[in-house]
Amino acid sequence: MSSGSGGEPDAGRRGVLKLGIGALGLGLAAVPVVPAVGYLLFPTGSKGGEGAFLPAGKRSAFAGSVPVRVELHADKVDAWNKTPDVKLGSCWVLERDGALQAFSTVCPHLGCAVDYDPEAQKFKCPCHRSAFALDGAVEAGPSPRPLDALEVQEENGLVAIKLVRYRQGVAQKEPV
Amino acid sequence: MALLDWLDERTGIRSATRLMLEEDVPGGARLRYVFGSVLVFLFMQQVVLGILLAFYYSPSATDAWASTAYLNDQVTYGWFLRGLHHHGSSAMVVVVVLHLLQVVFAGAYRKPREVNWWTGLLMGAIVLAFALTGYLLPWDQKGYWATQVATGIMGSVPGGEPMQQFVQGGSEYGNLTLTRFFALHVFVLPIALAGLLGVHLLLFRKHGVTPPDLPEPELRRKTQPFWPNQLFLDVLAMAVCAAVLVGLTVQTHGAELFAPADPASNFVARPEWYFLFLFQLLKYFQGPLQIVATVLLPGAAAAYLFALPFVDRSKSRAVRSRWSVLSGVGLLMAGVTALTAVAIVEDGGNESFQHGVEQAHAEAARARELAREGVAPVGGVAVFDNDPEQKTRNLFKEQCATCHTLEGKGSEEAPTLDGFTSREWLAALVRSPRDRRFYGATKHNTMEPLTAEQASDEELAAVVEYLVSLSGASAAASVDAATVARGKELWDKKLECSSCHELEAGKEGAGPTLAGRGSPAWIARIIRDSSQKDLYGDTAEMPKFADKLSTEQIEALAQFVASRKAP
Repeated sequence: MSSGSGGEPDAGRRGVLKLGIGALGLGLAAVPVVPAVGYLLFPTGSKGGEGAFLPAGKRSAFAGSVPVRVELHADKVDAWNKTPDVKLGSCWVLERDGALQAFSTVCPHLGCAVDYDPEAQKFKCPCHRSAFALDGAVEAGPSPRPLDALEVQEENGLVAIKLVRYRQGVAQKEPV
Repeated sequence: MALLDWLDERTGIRSATRLMLEEDVPGGARLRYVFGSVLVFLFMQQVVLGILLAFYYSPSATDAWASTAYLNDQVTYGWFLRGLHHHGSSAMVVVVVLHLLQVVFAGAYRKPREVNWWTGLLMGAIVLAFALTGYLLPWDQKGYWATQVATGIMGSVPGGEPMQQFVQGGSEYGNLTLTRFFALHVFVLPIALAGLLGVHLLLFRKHGVTPPDLPEPELRRKTQPFWPNQLFLDVLAMAVCAAVLVGLTVQTHGAELFAPADPASNFVARPEWYFLFLFQLLKYFQGPLQIVATVLLPGAAAAYLFALPFVDRSKSRAVRSRWSVLSGVGLLMAGVTALTAVAIVEDGGNESFQHGVEQAHAEAARARELAREGVAPVGGVAVFDNDPEQKTRNLFKEQCATCHTLEGKGSEEAPTLDGFTSREWLAALVRSPRDRRFYGATKHNTMEPLTAEQASDEELAAVVEYLVSLSGASAAASVDAATVARGKELWDKKLECSSCHELEAGKEGAGPTLAGRGSPAWIARIIRDSSQKDLYGDTAEMPKFADKLSTEQIEALAQFVASRKAP
């Protein structure tokens, strides 16, 4: 270094200064960084109508064993927005042995929307060729578990379905 | 170390670091050299904070306020980061001024550092542009109205209109104004500032610090290295600055956020404190002279600063030989300070302004509380739709205003509801029931008017008082007992109202029962089903809302209508 007076004591003093720079520098960086961790990792997120029973229509609309696709709507709070009556998802509803059965349209494999093939009388996933029987059981393809059944409620001739999303790609049906 | 060797061999990182840090400071490290470094620190902190804010902020006229309220009031530590960014801008303005004063005092603007002086002034202007553009982004009342003034000034100077249109993205404020201010604030200005900063630092390294006015040998003897001696002082100053900022942010609980921008409101607009002097200056120059305050004086001051290297003809940097330049800058600063002080004092003594500020704070608190439920996608001011009264008002507009008028708006297919429970309304109805204000447009237009011969105004007032006493509405508490007694006597003995109107609930008559008339419960019954036998019976045309609206909605509407005062 081309500084004026070198010498041992000065070198010691400079060591302290360097330490001080490091410590203060870390402190300065921490001021925005520490709160940023909470800020970025724990936003308050969105609250949809998921997990609640949502109106799906009249009971009479589901007579017969041909599955009917139903869209489920509810008010949704998405971060700062509150939107009334947003389409949250859909499900297949059919009558089996006099009772209503609802399946999520989300393929348990990787989340594509499962279709119904009326000729084969099977649910088919358009993405990876998983096929499901009318009771939801896997008949072909890579899906690790049957179609996800959703809870159905009937009251005064009206049907309500509880919309839940499940983890994809695993054999166990676990809500996310 | 082996890793560092590996890296150094491939990047030359060690020599690059040495190049950055190893510099001699002739005359030794000094506290008064810290301001530039503190500004670099503040700029970097603003960049980091700005990026963090952009993780939640959404620059559209419908989303800006709601997303700012969300990030400020709901996201973990959002208030702190936004507050730090807000106060950080004030800190930058303060330190820019200190830096400028130190440079002027040391004579560092002189040859050969003119270009550095000019890049510094440009950066100072950019810091102000940052403040101006950032102010609008929350799209709250204060930012909206204060920025209106700024762009209004832009449009009022000769040739300024195209520029105003450009920054606004059109002739009025809207989505394009926000996206433009956003693009300027987060892309254009930071890049411009970073570029100028690069030039500024390179030139600074080329010429070095401007040392004290001492003999050369003494300067050389006292020389210290930048790293670590000067840098330690720099970092210490940054730490003090950061501590002040954190303290200020915690103490104020972050930055203010006013109610969402409402172009229909009148808001007491004031710029941020560092623009108050311009605001004050504008008060002294009106009409055709306005340009003196908006362009000529600020322009002259800027030109003076830019020309400073040429204005200063003195041979030496010594303070005493430069008194004219120093006093010129001093006068400028004194003027700015005085104008700022006058602006603050004037507002402090201005009662209507203080009242406006109070109202603005109350409205802001209410809006932010309501925003916690989420704001409808139509945005901003829609936050007030979360207010129960506003919900009812909207319900009225949807369901009732197609036939009923309220507050001057709506149709006249059915009775006007302004002052529905008032004495005036009742008295006017009795005199002319077939007026369109009352039942004229309905099937229920069979009531005969009560003429002045049948009952004098004074007698009518007594009957009305009697009816009000039976209403159960809020007005019933304030009746005059003697007048009520007289009204009852008239009702029972003289007038023929009772041939159609019963005074008992449930009793059928040609006209509606007047027991409880105007009370929320009575109104709710009408909303549910006005064709009930003791109400309007066969002449009822109003839809039955019992099936259309929930009990809560009907009760809220009834309460709302019952509480409308006369217009």
